[in-house]
Amino acid sequence: MNRVSEWWTAPQPIARVAAFRVLAYLFIPIDVLLTTAWVQWHGDVSTKLYQPLIVGNLLHLPLPTHTVVVSVQWSLIIAAVLAATGRAPRLLGAIVFVLYFEWMIIAMSYGKVDHDRFAYLVALAVLPTVGVARWRDRGRSEAAGWALRCIQVAVMLTYFFAAWSKVRFGGWDWVTGATLTRAVIRRGTGLAEWTLDVPNLLTTAQWLMLGLELLSPLILLARSDRARIAIVTFLVGFHVMTYAGVTIIFLPHVVAILSMLPWERLHRQVVPAVPITATLDDGLVRGGSP
Amino acid sequence: MGDSSSDTVVGLGTRGRAIRLLAAAIVLALTLVGTVWGQDTAFPVGPFRMYATRDGLDAPVSSTRVDGVNTAGVHIAIDDSETGLRRAEIEGQIRRLIADPSLLGLIADAYAARNPHKLPLSRMEVVVRRYELRDGARTGDYTETVLAAWDADPPPETVS
Repeated sequence: MNRVSEWWTAPQPIARVAAFRVLAYLFIPIDVLLTTAWVQWHGDVSTKLYQPLIVGNLLHLPLPTHTVVVSVQWSLIIAAVLAATGRAPRLLGAIVFVLYFEWMIIAMSYGKVDHDRFAYLVALAVLPTVGVARWRDRGRSEAAGWALRCIQVAVMLTYFFAAWSKVRFGGWDWVTGATLTRAVIRRGTGLAEWTLDVPNLLTTAQWLMLGLELLSPLILLARSDRARIAIVTFLVGFHVMTYAGVTIIFLPHVVAILSMLPWERLHRQVVPAVPITATLDDGLVRGGSP
Repeated sequence: MGDSSSDTVVGLGTRGRAIRLLAAAIVLALTLVGTVWGQDTAFPVGPFRMYATRDGLDAPVSSTRVDGVNTAGVHIAIDDSETGLRRAEIEGQIRRLIADPSLLGLIADAYAARNPHKLPLSRMEVVVRRYELRDGARTGDYTETVLAAWDADPPPETVS
């Protein structure tokens, strides 16, 4: 049990959380206004076409009328921009999480559910728990470690449980089916059309996809910065390629993946050497507990 | 103590650690249950089933779209942003739309609200185009079927 506990809360740089938090919160206005702008369209659709999810019923969430949608949209954007400043991280972070969660309920309650933001939702849920975190912070904390670990596990599960779903709904012979062919016919770009004329190619791609998804727990083994940078590069590369082929990108998920990068180095490169006298104050303040 | 700030580790208290471990365990358990037994309605812990269905190598590939006829009698293709519902959402609610085509009228209302500068619609159709596949490759043939249709002014005999 101790080892499990240590694994979940292995200390990580506080500055990494400080940097990632800015990225995660500033992504919200982009997501809401640009990359998933269709969510706000639901404000124009009759609530008779709203099909509440289990969580919407459990929490007695309001019907997404035009007023509800517009109010959630703008309070979410304002809260996210404020949260990106790093002020009142627990309060503002919690408000952003609640509003974004409601925004997702509005998004997914009209007959189609997407799976591109599980890890991002987890990120928004755990970021406030880290509390105050500054770019110039040189220390590590177990709170930061737990938050980053949760996001990493959620990223991994997005792949691993996607493989599970393929076997559950498609069967083990999912790999020999025409799922990718269907995807390319329905939404293929000029860069992907040619793959339709090579039948075995897309089937091979399906074998690779399922295989890699099943191997995703290996992500958790990455310890060094280099290994994590390699994993991030590989995963982001995969999502960019998918976008080029069928114009689907798991953008919020990609943001969550970026939490694995050693962002704290960025600040160290910009502000390389801090004189010891300057850090001493910092150390004394926090040096209270042995 | 000199450069202690670079290796300072702020630990968690017993309570903080316990709450965090418990929260992680609950979310993991819910996500596992959602993945193994849940359906889409279990979002956000439902099964991550995007592209999880298997499509047969010889089964046709369906592509759904919404067509309309405006009050000037012009046939137009309608895209997602014009109705406020994405194609996949129309597909996800297709059984309801077939059972109760008046819901298409509500989508026509949304179209009118979202496109005030365009003529309103007098007819809406959900059309599915099925591309024929053989051994996973396109043959080039396809068929089209109207799955559901709605007219703004139903002929008098159907008015009850």
